[in-house]
Amino acid sequence: MYYKSRGYKIFSIFNHILLVLAALSCFLPLLHLLAQSFSSKAAVNGNLVSFWPVDFTADAYAKTFRNSNFTGSMLISVVRTVLGTLISMFVITTAGYALSKNFRGRNVLMWIFVFTMLFSGGLIPSYILITSLGMKDTMWALVLPGAFGAYNMILIMNFFKTIPKALEEAAFIDGASFFAIFQKIYLPLSLPGLATVGLFIMVGHWNSWFDGILYMSNTDNYPLASFLQTVVVQGSAQNMALTQSEAEAMSEQSLKAAQIFISTLPIILVYPFLQRYFVKGIVLGAVKE
Amino acid sequence: MKWKKTAAYAITAVLMSGMLAGCMTKGSGSEAAPKATLKDGKYDPVLTITTAKQLDENAGKYLNGESLNDNVMTRWGVEKLGIKIETTLLGGDAGNYNTKLRLALTGSEKLPDLIPVYDTSLASDLIQSGQVRDITEDIKNFMPDRLKEIYKQYPTTFNPVIQDGIVYGMAISPNLTEGEVMLIRQDWLDKLNLKAPTTIDEFEKVIAAFTNNDPDGNGKKDTYGFDFSGKDSYNTGWVSDPVMIFSAYTGKSLPGQWYNDNGKLTYGSVAEGNKEALAKLRDWYSKGYLNKELATQGAWDALADFTEGKAGIIIGRPWLYGSVKDVEKNIPGAKIAAYPTIKGVKEATTYQSGQLNDGVFMFNKDFNNMEAFFLYYDKLYDAAFGTGDFKYGFAKGYDYDIVDGKVVFDSAHFNQPLQNAPSPSKMLFTKNAPTVSEAGKTYYDLANGTKPDTGPLMSAAAADQTTKNGYVISYENRDALLPNAFNGPPTKTMQSSWEQLTTMEKETFTKIIYSKEPLEAYDDFVKQWHEKGGTQITEEVNDWYRQANETDVMSSMGLK
Repeated sequence: MYYKSRGYKIFSIFNHILLVLAALSCFLPLLHLLAQSFSSKAAVNGNLVSFWPVDFTADAYAKTFRNSNFTGSMLISVVRTVLGTLISMFVITTAGYALSKNFRGRNVLMWIFVFTMLFSGGLIPSYILITSLGMKDTMWALVLPGAFGAYNMILIMNFFKTIPKALEEAAFIDGASFFAIFQKIYLPLSLPGLATVGLFIMVGHWNSWFDGILYMSNTDNYPLASFLQTVVVQGSAQNMALTQSEAEAMSEQSLKAAQIFISTLPIILVYPFLQRYFVKGIVLGAVKE
Repeated sequence: MKWKKTAAYAITAVLMSGMLAGCMTKGSGSEAAPKATLKDGKYDPVLTITTAKQLDENAGKYLNGESLNDNVMTRWGVEKLGIKIETTLLGGDAGNYNTKLRLALTGSEKLPDLIPVYDTSLASDLIQSGQVRDITEDIKNFMPDRLKEIYKQYPTTFNPVIQDGIVYGMAISPNLTEGEVMLIRQDWLDKLNLKAPTTIDEFEKVIAAFTNNDPDGNGKKDTYGFDFSGKDSYNTGWVSDPVMIFSAYTGKSLPGQWYNDNGKLTYGSVAEGNKEALAKLRDWYSKGYLNKELATQGAWDALADFTEGKAGIIIGRPWLYGSVKDVEKNIPGAKIAAYPTIKGVKEATTYQSGQLNDGVFMFNKDFNNMEAFFLYYDKLYDAAFGTGDFKYGFAKGYDYDIVDGKVVFDSAHFNQPLQNAPSPSKMLFTKNAPTVSEAGKTYYDLANGTKPDTGPLMSAAAADQTTKNGYVISYENRDALLPNAFNGPPTKTMQSSWEQLTTMEKETFTKIIYSKEPLEAYDDFVKQWHEKGGTQITEEVNDWYRQANETDVMSSMGLK
């Protein structure tokens, strides 16, 4: 048996060590952040906190949740993520389904889509376009520009292509239309693919901050990621004329840590719920060829 | 069935978001109202002035229900003056802000009435575009006298906005900002029986002792003397600044800025004395007296070592104490004290970069309510003069409160205690509260017995003692503050080679300090600098200076 050999055991040990190290390198920064968020401001500024809170306090969290700017941004982010993912998934699956079939002009269409993967209009033309479409300062500016992602569409299309043709033919014989086949056969059978792509899109929406800063001219309309970018990154931007109290506020590390941690939480929580869809082999045994 | 359900959800979601989007859009076309007239110091109907804003520290801190365009200060303007200030253009950081303004220039959106500009080349582009207003006459006719007195003191602040003798803008609340002081760990000085340094030799002794004599008494050699940042510049101008060491040898020629030598502008980084300063820093770095990561840490990040209790001396504006005072909480016995910067080798003092204003106001050429603007702007100065509505501060319950008949400035002790409160001064179109406390004069007056009866004096009195001492030192040494003599738009050769030259400068300086290149590399740098465009740039800068001072715009604005 190969797995009892000496070489395999050594490999296995190293493999485990490596994987544990890789996992720790992801987990420890998060733990550090969590420890900081539960520590007093002075301890964090003095760099005394490593992986366990010093002077335990939940102050930072109380402050964060009492801050209507934070909760408001969070709501916008949730709406944006849900709405954006729904729209994207609708556009991508329908396009992917159509393109998984053969029809005249399919290749031309395909090239047009692939073209958008390689070239884009650039920042300023996009900004002017969104502004003249009147989408500035609305939810649509966050949701629509990225609704169709060629890469995600190709993933879905290829997933659809792996579904045996026989299933579709059988459905046709039973009198199903293209749409019926799409929703009753293709979508349920592609759940692993849909879950993967859906997760990509969701995480993308949740983390994207730049479009918020670009298209919103009022901080009330900022999604959470843009909000955090302004608080965490720009909070340390150069400002030469401060008063003492402002200078003190600029070193609120534990508050920043709490805000970052809360903002990562929802997306971490989504993974376990989607995990059950990552099951393969549903189509196995559906047809005999 | 299932599909229908999904579709139903999708449609509901879309509809709901449509409503949401509706909430988020705010009417932006509120022009063409009947002409507002001034009656008893108030406009009727309400006059709207649109403006642009670069995100500030208030972002994310507004109280519940308040926002950028609806807060205590905007409401004050509507109620008291009948002037509504509306931000129609918001930029994230400096780059984003400038890009958005440039886009507005192309006509993709409306240029606001009032345009704060923080970039000299953008100011010059705005002038070129012909879309900004000539305000020479407006200043003469509408600027209130007390503001005229202020602008008279700072004629150089007009340089970036003058072209062909016409004034296209004005500095945003010009004032000589406070200078930098040395913050030293007093407990370390006491423990090692040292005095605060006043010369470069004493400074060297102190930082050597801080490094080698275990000032924190933990038996480990884990401390060092002087904490500064050289990442962006060796003349940061606000915190973690090493410019004192350079100025000790170069006098008034500071690295990275232009010095006006009796009408002739010269560049500080190539002046005599820099080599000696670099030699000192190089020596200190190799002995471990300096921040090991000085070339990779930004000015604000470099504070960490001092706050942690690893470094003994840091230089910054007096308020810096507020950001680093946690060290006194974390380490028992730790005590920070403020001292003046050291004497120069040849001169009686070391110089540092002085700041007169942050940005300029420019106005849309279609904006015809300059009188309203000046009315509003003048009212904001009430807070600085301690008069009118803003005797104690801008808004009761925000930056001050009256508790049991006493004025309180610490928001934690308000009637309704606030933590991490928004600052009303940042809600204004001036970005910071206008001030007339030249280089910390308020604190100096206070220390000399002036009774604290106005807002500025009272809030100064409420600051920590170390901060107060720092401001007093800053005011006493205000002659050491040298504003950059060149504040115009980048010249032609600057546009093509300045970035390359400054990169070369930073690299050379850092490599010499890190001992990666011999000290002689500096001579080579000076030669290269002149050859690669420096000579040309110096000529252009001097041409600019001559032109800016050709016509006497100050008289035509009635500022003489």
